[in-house]
Amino acid sequence: MNRKLTNAVFKIFVWAAMAASFGILLFLISVLFWKGFGAISFDFLFTPSSNFGAEGGIVYQIVGSILLIVFATLIAFPLSLGFAIYKSEYVKSSYVQNITDTLIYGLNGIPSIIFGIFGLIFFVNLLNTGISWFVGSIILAIMILPTIILSTYQAINSIPDSFRENALALGLTKWQLITTTLLPRGLSGAFTGLLIGLSRAIGETAPIMFIATAFSGVTIPVGFFEPVSALPTHILALAQQATNPQALQNAWGTSLVLLLLVLIFSIAALWRRVKFSKIEY
Amino acid sequence: MLVSYNKIGKGYIMLSTYISMLIALLIFIVLFINSFDAISQVGLKLFTLEWNPSKNEYGILSMLYGTLSVTVIALTIAIPLGIGTAIFTSEILPSAYRIYVKSIIELLAGIPSIIYGLIGIAFFSTWIASFFELASGRTILTAGILLSIMILPTIVTLSDDAINNVPKKYREAAKGLGLYPFEVIKNTVLPIAKKDITGAILLALGRALGETMAVMLLIGSIDKIPTPFYNVLSPGQTITSKLGREIGESAFGSLHFSALNTMGFVLMLLVIILTLITQLYLRKSNRLYE
Repeated sequence: MNRKLTNAVFKIFVWAAMAASFGILLFLISVLFWKGFGAISFDFLFTPSSNFGAEGGIVYQIVGSILLIVFATLIAFPLSLGFAIYKSEYVKSSYVQNITDTLIYGLNGIPSIIFGIFGLIFFVNLLNTGISWFVGSIILAIMILPTIILSTYQAINSIPDSFRENALALGLTKWQLITTTLLPRGLSGAFTGLLIGLSRAIGETAPIMFIATAFSGVTIPVGFFEPVSALPTHILALAQQATNPQALQNAWGTSLVLLLLVLIFSIAALWRRVKFSKIEY
Repeated sequence: MLVSYNKIGKGYIMLSTYISMLIALLIFIVLFINSFDAISQVGLKLFTLEWNPSKNEYGILSMLYGTLSVTVIALTIAIPLGIGTAIFTSEILPSAYRIYVKSIIELLAGIPSIIYGLIGIAFFSTWIASFFELASGRTILTAGILLSIMILPTIVTLSDDAINNVPKKYREAAKGLGLYPFEVIKNTVLPIAKKDITGAILLALGRALGETMAVMLLIGSIDKIPTPFYNVLSPGQTITSKLGREIGESAFGSLHFSALNTMGFVLMLLVIILTLITQLYLRKSNRLYE
């Protein structure tokens, strides 16, 4: 009887845990959509903000966020592609393999605010760039490097050696082998990693709040070393004046826009992963 | 011509490798150099209670306490809830639905932390304030609860993988001995999945330690250890919230800046070590069933 009772208690616990978890998750999603849709309108998306964000829209914040991640992509993508090819094709000793592993996983583990402090010290103060969206892009690029590297490395590394041997037997140089045989397959992994990285990068506040963004009076930057305004830092500024219902309303609207952008990237990544995980050699 | 392309190609690959590795080292070195001032000038007085830059007092104990207490609260809530949910999704839920449920949970793991912070401010802090009849709902407990929600998806999805990776034959053998589902899970499935679940928890711990935005908005930002120390219904301060609040205001090169850097450096080391343990040690487990 005792065993039966424990089993029943356990079942209740598991169902309760499930109900609580999904209750919370459902609550989060419904709050974001319910509050967010109330705040979003055509005007909100296409007018600049005014009165410290409490009035007007978020057009420059959207532009700023997209600018940040576009340049982060341009910086991070070629770097991580090269690193992943190196790790998969050039490293011969397991010692070097361990060092690169440690660096990548270490970089992946650094808390996001530390990236912000690094950017503040190294770029804004030592290199004297001032508050600059380009520095923000660089920092976001550094942040998503490990994600893209690992995803690309896994894709390239899973290509069987017979592909390489065939290519080399045909007289291809190593570079031709890489461009004709390995990259076409490796790129799909790289894009998946990029999408995952971007879905994280676009929502990050801590790395860019000291180094790349200004809250008000910012339009579209004309040079590399000017601040922009971005969606996450806009939410931060609005959340700090949460007693003003109008500001809070705009914060919900901004959150929903940001969430939708994040979801576009992460759903695309998920879809690619499901689609390309079926490749078998 | 072919050879030169080959060389250019190799050059590009080596260059990007060196740049990436240099960046990783640079972050480490820059933070270390900048925390050096505080370590040499403040020294052991870092481990005191008073933080007052105008008097050159830089005690980080209350921040350490805040980080620790918030993390403990978050894990206390998230571990049982997360593992319970993972047992549900991997053992009870029909496997046809599992992929959808998992996808949804993984998408939720991607909600930016600032949005959690906003939800925390708008709902959780007011609930806590009215429930416990406090003047302000921005307390250590509020931050801990919100943090537990933020790390829940990580624990659920990774533990679910761990439990799901346990081969069917173990369950069938245990069931064949006449064990109840609870006994099958407790005595057979969980011990095998233990290592991977530990990995999931360590990863969640790393995320909780480094989480900034939501905690910063909710913890109240007061550099004090509450009296008595287990009174989590009072405001506090974590390392990350301190950094987020003050690093913009401190002058570059000052002792104040350096002391903040030291905290950041300590935090970074802690989280990196945790991450490395999870990735390099736990992943290399040679599973007994393979």
